Amino acid sequence: MESDIAVSVYNVTKKYKLYEDKWGPLKEVFFKKKLHNDFFALKNISLKFPAGESIGILGKNGSGKSTLLKIITGITEPTEGKIEVNGSLVFLDVSSGIDPELSGYENIFTKGILLGYSKHEMMKKVKDIIDFSELDDFIYQPVKNYSSGMRSKLGFAISVNVDPDILIVDEALAVGDEQFRKKCMKKMNQFKDEGKTIIFVSHDKNAIASFCSKAAWIEKGELIMYGDSKYVSDKYNEFMSGTKTIEEIKLENKYMHTIDNLVLGVVDNKLSIAFKGHIYNVERSNLNKFEFVIRNIRTRESISNLIETDTFDKENIDFTMYFNEHRYPNFFFPGRFLVNLRIKDNQNNIVEAPFWAGNLNVKNKNEKKGRFIYKTEIKKNNLELVINNHSKVEQQVDNIWFDKNIINIEGVAFVKGYETKVKDDVTLQGYLFEMKTFDISRFDIDLIESNEISKNPNFSSSDKDYRFSKFKAAIDIEKLEVGEYELNFIYKMHKEPYYELYNRVWASKRNSYPNYPYLYNNYKIILNYDNKYLQFKKETLHEEN
Amino acid sequence: MFVIYKEMWMRRKMIHELSLQEIKREYAGTLLGFIWGLVNPMMRIAVFWFVFSIGARAAVPIKGVPYMAWLAIGMTAWFFLNDGFRLSQKSYRSKRSIIKNTPFPIVILPTVQVVFSYYKHLILLTVIFIVSAITFDTLSFWWIQILYYDFAAICLLVGIGSVAAPLVAVSKDFGSFLDTVLVFLFWMTPIFWSPENLGAIETLVKLNPFHYIVQGYRDSILFGVGFWQSPRYTVYFWLLVMILFILGNYFYKKMKPIFLDTL
Repeated sequence: MESDIAVSVYNVTKKYKLYEDKWGPLKEVFFKKKLHNDFFALKNISLKFPAGESIGILGKNGSGKSTLLKIITGITEPTEGKIEVNGSLVFLDVSSGIDPELSGYENIFTKGILLGYSKHEMMKKVKDIIDFSELDDFIYQPVKNYSSGMRSKLGFAISVNVDPDILIVDEALAVGDEQFRKKCMKKMNQFKDEGKTIIFVSHDKNAIASFCSKAAWIEKGELIMYGDSKYVSDKYNEFMSGTKTIEEIKLENKYMHTIDNLVLGVVDNKLSIAFKGHIYNVERSNLNKFEFVIRNIRTRESISNLIETDTFDKENIDFTMYFNEHRYPNFFFPGRFLVNLRIKDNQNNIVEAPFWAGNLNVKNKNEKKGRFIYKTEIKKNNLELVINNHSKVEQQVDNIWFDKNIINIEGVAFVKGYETKVKDDVTLQGYLFEMKTFDISRFDIDLIESNEISKNPNFSSSDKDYRFSKFKAAIDIEKLEVGEYELNFIYKMHKEPYYELYNRVWASKRNSYPNYPYLYNNYKIILNYDNKYLQFKKETLHEEN
Repeated sequence: MFVIYKEMWMRRKMIHELSLQEIKREYAGTLLGFIWGLVNPMMRIAVFWFVFSIGARAAVPIKGVPYMAWLAIGMTAWFFLNDGFRLSQKSYRSKRSIIKNTPFPIVILPTVQVVFSYYKHLILLTVIFIVSAITFDTLSFWWIQILYYDFAAICLLVGIGSVAAPLVAVSKDFGSFLDTVLVFLFWMTPIFWSPENLGAIETLVKLNPFHYIVQGYRDSILFGVGFWQSPRYTVYFWLLVMILFILGNYFYKKMKPIFLDTL
């Protein structure tokens, strides 16, 4: 048995026979019929608790976690499977081994004797135990006269001063006042520092996430997952709050894909980003089917790469993925992006789920400036890449009208503080973004000289010259495929600060736009400006009979 | 075959300490404490003596020894046997709470009860010795044989306890049955009546291993008879103990997984 494993659980199953009446067992022997129901408290659980770490066992009441503890400590035997324990074990259950008839003092000795210490050894420990328990002279009173808080103090004081290699704590810290609990935590932390193994059972995910480095989640006798404690308690929370079902979580987290580290950089004004992470529980045959996906949350457009492994561990993949903007010229525009793992399973179903980044230390100041402003954020333990423009474009569409096969759009666009005295100061380039195929086609936007903005006191507070802020665009619909289109543009500055600003076209003057479909030739154009951003749909006309 | 007894031997210190704890528990909260270990038995001896010698007028000296002495020695042995049997057979049931809470070698529990009963017995035995020394005005060399019979008694009780306790842990009904058996044994063991001159009944009575001990006590303190003087009976006794040991080991192994849940 490996010396760095404190407790090994091998395929443990615990089955209880539930009979309807007390004669059931006897009747079964005589009539050779099965007269009981099987209740599986634990189903084929295998776990390895590493030595020197604190591991949590999480699960709601009735999940089987207490049964697992009883089996590990030897109080009950498994129906199938076995346990190997490497080191001395103490089970910190508040009421364990305390005889109410005897005094606290005598119980200290009894418990010590049960655990295998001689009277002599206990004599040396007794003073420390009494001091820790804070019971003072009450220690000489029979335990039956103690309050429940006093009993747990006594139980904890005895168990904790006994100096085991492995300490198993069963929600014992739920009882006792704040002060005592703090003392208990301090002692447990001391154990952690001393390199002891602590197994902590609770249904309080916060306690487990904060105190333990790893956690196992048991539900209805099954091991749902085992791994980093923050990760597991997070998933546990998603389940308990009803956000996800067990099946969803199981599938999504079979692999426990995690981003451990990332490096954000800007090369030649373009984004360059490296992700380092791992995936657990991979079967070798699945290796070709893992893809690293970056997906635009709003448009749903995505880019991806096959994940290749750095290591040859047969169960785990460590990977490093690089993405450079110059390879994806029209993808890394302003917006929010998720980082996902895409898997094709054996039935060729495709599942995509975000990488977990709960342990990633990302400060919001981790911002890089290039063509746009790039930064990363952690939201609900998932990583988001956030791209923003350097500056805001003030814009409005004043007019839309149709002329044969052309949509005409007139409006204004300027950046506060950026003077456009000369036509060459700025160019506007229009982009049509097809929302299903993600195809991009360009359209021209002309700038027209006008004093509209400069003279308007609402916009121009400091006598800046925005002569070239009015624009006019013409889009030829004939050349377009059938589909749904978003209108975007780039506002490109040709002098300081040389920003390129990418935006959707903003159109909020509802009364100035056509509000019924436009028919021409054999197609139909339906404008959409409901959410204030301009879109349109091109459909073919069908003969209605 | 004798795995559990090796474990018991290894844990003998633990057994000793726990037996002392049992004594503390028994007399915790009482004023007289361990004095009750004397008062109770002596009163019972007195009652029997009264009933049989004054009441039933059936008290005759046995082999030249006054009935009172013969009765007292026999009952002293019996108290030990009775407690040992009674407490060890339900030891798993009575210690249910610590079994279910603390990991420790539970196999020692029946033996702890036996040793506890023995320690209690020693108190009474000491007084009996003193009284006997005063009464008979002699300290006989034969009294050392008590050590042999004590050892034999402990072995017997450990064997019976090891067999009975797992069974009782699984079936409460069996425990009640054993209580009845104990009562039956009390009346059937020649404690206050003598099996002499009863022919075939005497042989039947000898089958009861408790009789070996009771008679042994009397042989040592009153009659100066050595255990080697009844070789066949001695061999029978130890064979019986051996069988009990083997059975006890077997039952423990078979039943432990079951009774851990049924308790």
